Amino acid sequence: MEPDPGCLITRRRFLGAAAASAVAAGAGCARRSLAAYQTGKAAVAILRAPSYGVDLVDRMARGAALCGLQVRGKRVLLKPNLVEFDRNSVIHTQAEVLAAAVSLFERLGAREILIGEGPGHRRDAWFLAEEAGYRAAIPNFESRFVDLNRDEVSRVAPFAGNAGIYLARTALAADLVVSIARMKTHHWAGATLSMKNLFGVVPGALYGWPKNHLHQVGIAKCVAELYRTFPHTFAMVDGIVGMEGNGPIQGLARSCGVLVMGSDLAAVDATCCRVMGIDPEKIEYLRLAAARRQVREQSIEQRGETIAQVRTPFELIPEFRHVRLL
Amino acid sequence: MEKCVESCLARLEAAQNPDGGWGYFPGKPSWLEPTAYALLALSHRRGPAFERGWHLLRSWQMACGAWRPCAGVDQPHWSTSLALTLHSVTGICDAAFQRGLDWLLTSAGAEGRTIARVVHWLCPSIVEFDPGLAGWPWESGASSWVEPTAHALMALRCAVRRTKKPDWTSRITVSERMLLDRRCRDGGWNYGNRRVLGADLPSYPETTALALMALDGHAAVAWGAALDQVKRTWRETRSPLARAWLSSCLLMYRGERPQTAERDDRTGNDLLVTAIEGIRWNQILAAS
Repeated sequence: MEPDPGCLITRRRFLGAAAASAVAAGAGCARRSLAAYQTGKAAVAILRAPSYGVDLVDRMARGAALCGLQVRGKRVLLKPNLVEFDRNSVIHTQAEVLAAAVSLFERLGAREILIGEGPGHRRDAWFLAEEAGYRAAIPNFESRFVDLNRDEVSRVAPFAGNAGIYLARTALAADLVVSIARMKTHHWAGATLSMKNLFGVVPGALYGWPKNHLHQVGIAKCVAELYRTFPHTFAMVDGIVGMEGNGPIQGLARSCGVLVMGSDLAAVDATCCRVMGIDPEKIEYLRLAAARRQVREQSIEQRGETIAQVRTPFELIPEFRHVRLL
Repeated sequence: MEKCVESCLARLEAAQNPDGGWGYFPGKPSWLEPTAYALLALSHRRGPAFERGWHLLRSWQMACGAWRPCAGVDQPHWSTSLALTLHSVTGICDAAFQRGLDWLLTSAGAEGRTIARVVHWLCPSIVEFDPGLAGWPWESGASSWVEPTAHALMALRCAVRRTKKPDWTSRITVSERMLLDRRCRDGGWNYGNRRVLGADLPSYPETTALALMALDGHAAVAWGAALDQVKRTWRETRSPLARAWLSSCLLMYRGERPQTAERDDRTGNDLLVTAIEGIRWNQILAAS
């Protein structure tokens, strides 16, 4: 077990924020803390986690408390990123992170915890989950996992200026969709985080592998629209080891040592961008989302570590150097 | 091999839904894709299970000639190709079959459109491929990808053998060239791109097997080496779906499936895998 820099969050800060969040949670506010509603700010927690060997459940519990997450009695869908798997790379959400999330939501009293993913490139979702170590790391994985590419579907309309789109019914039926993404650069979108991770709820059985429909409509429009479609969400971004350069598949591992959590996916992703040295207001899908939610720094209530304490500039491909945070 | 096939067919019959179709997993609602594969597997029997499934499949054809993907979705689907292959295999080349073929022949990848070709001409290195070689998309209005192109090619080849006026030679030739153009540097195929932003992409086993099956002995492929690689990949990969397609490819070209390990039912009991392993591809798509 490595040293625990997570304790760098002072006890006073943690207790203060947790108390405010507890009030909000008690009032039944799952999406944002009371303080956030009062100030119009979205709470985003940054937790240090230098490796996958630390007590991730403890880190996540702190993050959940800081954000006022309340899930008792809810049907929760955990949505990891498993667009592809390569044992020599860091494409997917780490199994330890997903397993810790299952433990956290059990501890928080969720009524049902499902895990769902619709991989974007490979068709065999069960195989990818096996290779990624999910089955070995997560108790009762077989009864929890849903291949969202081949799930039943429901139509959502309108969608991104088009007539509509079919989405996985398991995701639409969940009380809370928890996007558990890895912190990665993306060669078409600049960065892929909790919002872009929602592409996995679009069924490949209808739209194919890859889900070219989303590219034809426009990646940014679709990301922003999926964000709008799922109002009850929570984000947990695995930035313990992220991916830089030619992500989301062929980039290189980049240790960042953080978990970033919050109820507002756009606010979480904007925070992740700042940690990665990316200007979130230059990421198109965040610009589109910003019309509805908080992306600007002054609109986010940063809890836990500050961005400055954990900033780790990620390498960007030439096509995206213009999004570098100055 | 016969024993394995019979086992697959028995599992399929046991998993048939009351509406006559098959879901992707036992007990799940019927979709066209697993239903078409299951019917291809059961096509030589033509028993009650086949008849119930055939009746459902026929009812899912749309006015445009394409097939819908499931009862609740009213839009043309790429697995129309599978429905057409099934018609050819059963020898039912009627008006419904012809309408389906007409739809398939009017469907093409969007990269062949003028604006897409101009964009590609301006920025050729973003995704390296020949936009003049259109295959088939997953859905209307999208670009061509390996899997739907492979299935469309197989459907057309089967149809050519069944119909008197096969005037689709140029479409077949262009699609073959499209597949060859998208071949990865490692000799296989991934979902459809070989090189993006200057970086080579790796191939996938299942799409490699499908592309080779669709290429039907094409002279541009060094078949001995390609099939040896398929055999090696079959031994190495643990994906049941990939192994099903790789063994189907070997069955088509070498006449026998490699011995399949015991089925791992923890992998979601995937009916697509069961059906693909139950199809006699060497009879359906005999290499020329």
